[in-house]
Amino acid sequence: MTEEIKATKTLDVCGEICPYPDVKSMATLKKMEKGEVLEILLDYPLSVERLPRNAAKWGHKVLTVEQLEGPNHRIMIEAFGLK
Amino acid sequence: MTGPILTGLLVGLAFGFALQRGRFCMNSAFRDIVTMKDYTLLKTVGLALLVSMLGFGIMAMTNIITPNPKPILWGGNIIGSFIFGIGMVLAGGCASGITYRVGEGMVGAMTAVLGLTLTAIVTAMGFLKPVKTALQAVKVPAEGASITVASILNLPYATVAIGGAIILGLIWWFFARKNKGGEVFDAHKDASLKDKIFKYGWPWVATGVAIGLISIVAFPLSAAAGRNYPLGITSGWIKIGQMVMPSVPFADSLKWDMWLIVGTVVGAAIAALIAKEFKLRVPPGRMLVQTFIGGSLMGFGAVCSTGCNIGHILSGVPQLSIGSMIAGISIVLGSWLAAWFMFVRPMAKE
Repeated sequence: MTEEIKATKTLDVCGEICPYPDVKSMATLKKMEKGEVLEILLDYPLSVERLPRNAAKWGHKVLTVEQLEGPNHRIMIEAFGLK
Repeated sequence: MTGPILTGLLVGLAFGFALQRGRFCMNSAFRDIVTMKDYTLLKTVGLALLVSMLGFGIMAMTNIITPNPKPILWGGNIIGSFIFGIGMVLAGGCASGITYRVGEGMVGAMTAVLGLTLTAIVTAMGFLKPVKTALQAVKVPAEGASITVASILNLPYATVAIGGAIILGLIWWFFARKNKGGEVFDAHKDASLKDKIFKYGWPWVATGVAIGLISIVAFPLSAAAGRNYPLGITSGWIKIGQMVMPSVPFADSLKWDMWLIVGTVVGAAIAALIAKEFKLRVPPGRMLVQTFIGGSLMGFGAVCSTGCNIGHILSGVPQLSIGSMIAGISIVLGSWLAAWFMFVRPMAKE
């Protein structure tokens, strides 16, 4: 186990179709303060790859991409503070 | 009889596997440009088109295939494909995207496919047939060979396809070299090759080449089964739908393009199961309605335009058909219009 990362907020977008996991996560990150951590729970494979890529592009810091069970993933992203 | 079953199924299995591993979807490819300025899947589509074009050109030169480009259908290609483009954003996937996601267990994709199949059938032979006939009234040329980039240049198809693929490839390589961006986030840089193939999504270059190669192999195999055209999605779903229609003989459904779809769904399911990505995923109820409506618009548009994003863009553009290029542009514009209303505008307001 790596050191525990505390999430400021959790967003569950499991079951959502393309591209809602990305759109909802990015919209949430945009409203968060710098340094706050968003925990995203998702199960859509395309978004598991696309979301970290785009979040990094916007300056957010991708902390972990962790596979849970099957396609379920937990992604932790530290907000850049775009507010 | 066993020939088309076997080759259609095998091509489908490979296609479904590659679609799932590469997360290949033209809806994402076109929509992501305007919603998140992400060009990854667009590059995949571009590479698949170049590989197909080069392969089709070489096969035409060596008489392995006879190109069969679609004619221009002004109403169908412009209006039908535009509606298709709007539909795929609502459906959350292009024709091939929703097909492979059925194999992944995504229920939203299943309702989209249901809408696509039902509406494609009523547009092809049901109460919407007069609309289709009206949209397809103006056809250029009325008879004879279709208008292609090669026919406009008055050059052999193989010359333009091979030359065009090489020139476009070089231009792309030149600009890609000049605009080398920063490091792309990659969570699986140090994974083993086996994991990179079976566990994680493929890099865009691998997916583009794989889809291009499958499209090349599909052409002569489909032609040998009496269907002289490369990959296509909508016609296969129509044939699956017709299986439960008493008015259509069952044997009419057992064609190459139908087996291709069966193979695609199964291939995607196998890829998803190996990667542990298979799961029945049910979106909120209103999403099921939205994807059904989206799929229905796609089915209507694809039949009016005689092709979906695969038939027109992946298969038609490398055959240099002007009609397919018009349809392709209309699909992109339709998807941008829908994406702007659904994602760009609401995100800007927040």
